[in-house]
Amino acid sequence: MIVEVINWAISAVEYEVYEGVTIRDLIVVFLILFIAFLIAKIIAMSLRRSLADKMRKDQLEILIKFVYAVVMLIAIVTVTPILGLNLTGLLVAGGIAGIAIGFASQKVVSNLLSGLFLIAERPLKIGDQIVVGNVAGFVEDMNVMSTIVRTYDGLYVRIPNETLFTSNITNPVANAARRFEYTISIRYSDDAEKAIQIIKDVIEAHPFALKIPPPRVFVDSLGDSGVNIIARIWAPSSEWMDVKMDLLWKIKVELEKNGIQIPFPQRVVWFGKELQESNQGS
Amino acid sequence: MFGAFRLRELSVELRNLKISVERDNGCFRYVRSLDDSRVEKVLFEDAEVHVNPVEPVNLPKKITNYLYISFRKPVLISPGEAATFYLTFPIEIGVILAEEGIYEDIDVFSFVRPKYALYGDPKGGVIGRYWESDVFTRIPELDPMREGVLELRATNLSNKWCEISKAVFDVYGMKVYYNEHAVSSIAEMRVHSQRMADTSFIDKPLFEGMRRAIELYTARALPMLATKFTMEWGV
Repeated sequence: MIVEVINWAISAVEYEVYEGVTIRDLIVVFLILFIAFLIAKIIAMSLRRSLADKMRKDQLEILIKFVYAVVMLIAIVTVTPILGLNLTGLLVAGGIAGIAIGFASQKVVSNLLSGLFLIAERPLKIGDQIVVGNVAGFVEDMNVMSTIVRTYDGLYVRIPNETLFTSNITNPVANAARRFEYTISIRYSDDAEKAIQIIKDVIEAHPFALKIPPPRVFVDSLGDSGVNIIARIWAPSSEWMDVKMDLLWKIKVELEKNGIQIPFPQRVVWFGKELQESNQGS
Repeated sequence: MFGAFRLRELSVELRNLKISVERDNGCFRYVRSLDDSRVEKVLFEDAEVHVNPVEPVNLPKKITNYLYISFRKPVLISPGEAATFYLTFPIEIGVILAEEGIYEDIDVFSFVRPKYALYGDPKGGVIGRYWESDVFTRIPELDPMREGVLELRATNLSNKWCEISKAVFDVYGMKVYYNEHAVSSIAEMRVHSQRMADTSFIDKPLFEGMRRAIELYTARALPMLATKFTMEWGV
């Protein structure tokens, strides 16, 4: 009985599926692809572990994807003869099929090409903050077809690369430093020069308010309710938001500590009747 | 204060700095307070701990690996000549665990206030830890808790006079040495023109017998390439 089963199994794996390709060949192909998949995974994992501290995350991801693709390509090239496929014929057929598929899937191809152009142009990288259309957030992943953005409120947004490529991309952290600005109003009765000095001292005390380029603090305009002082401050792009949030309140507190008040909107109203009465009285 | 200790024996009280290690149910509780900052960490095993000056780019958090020293007075060097002078650099003190050659910093603090600046333009420039230094022609006596001595060996390789008013260094490769009286480092600057220079650190103590500090910035695959910084936006 067992012998019969073994004989049946042997004859089954020798069963020809098509043009000399047997089930055994298919099993071998499956095993090769599976082993290649495992090898690619192991290499990717060890690259991620060993280079995580030494490479930027986006560069590491590109390297891992490249190594992964190479391993799988080698495996595919290895199994094609087993499957009885002629690579030359495959390439010709692939070329013709490519044209047909290209026409049929222009959007997909467009996304693919846009992805390649984006990788080459590198207007953004993983971890950057970007604003594209009405989407603003962190770049989580960059694939050949699409870019994944995590918005500031934690939403997952997939942007097709074609959309990304043809849109205005604002990358607020692409440069090393960026500037922000406050308009601070003080009362007309306050000493503007003293206020400017206080604001400069608060800025100077903040480690990430850059010393160079120097901050600019000056009286910008004489407003309806008070004197408007503008403070322009440079900060490292990575710290920009924190510095901006941190400094304004410190400036306000320090000004008030020195007797300088932020004015409320004021309007002086003259009553004509009262004026006449007071004139008559005198 | 600098040196190697057993964790359980670590205890420092200096000016407004206080470091203590308390035993807590078989664990060790590291507590450090300085001005308004306080750090508290729990460690499960006793270990060797080094307290020494580290590369001064860690506070209030690590955002760069460049040190930007601005000279209060510029230095002029004639064509083809070299000059050695002394600057100061800020001291940050690291508390580093050492176990079988593996180091882990558990705390970094400083008696000086950190400040940062941009060297170059916003697009291609770098953010550096900013420090203003006097220029000394002989080794200055400094408070080793606040300032270290940086010997700068500058060479003018151009055929014009050059005026040096700043130096920017990549702290990967910065070698800090210390003893009980001083903290030091030695660097060189090769000026190619008024707009371009290379800077790098030299691994030598300023005085005989100084101990080399354990560094926090060492992980580079190609140290020879990594430790040199090219100042492309002027000196």
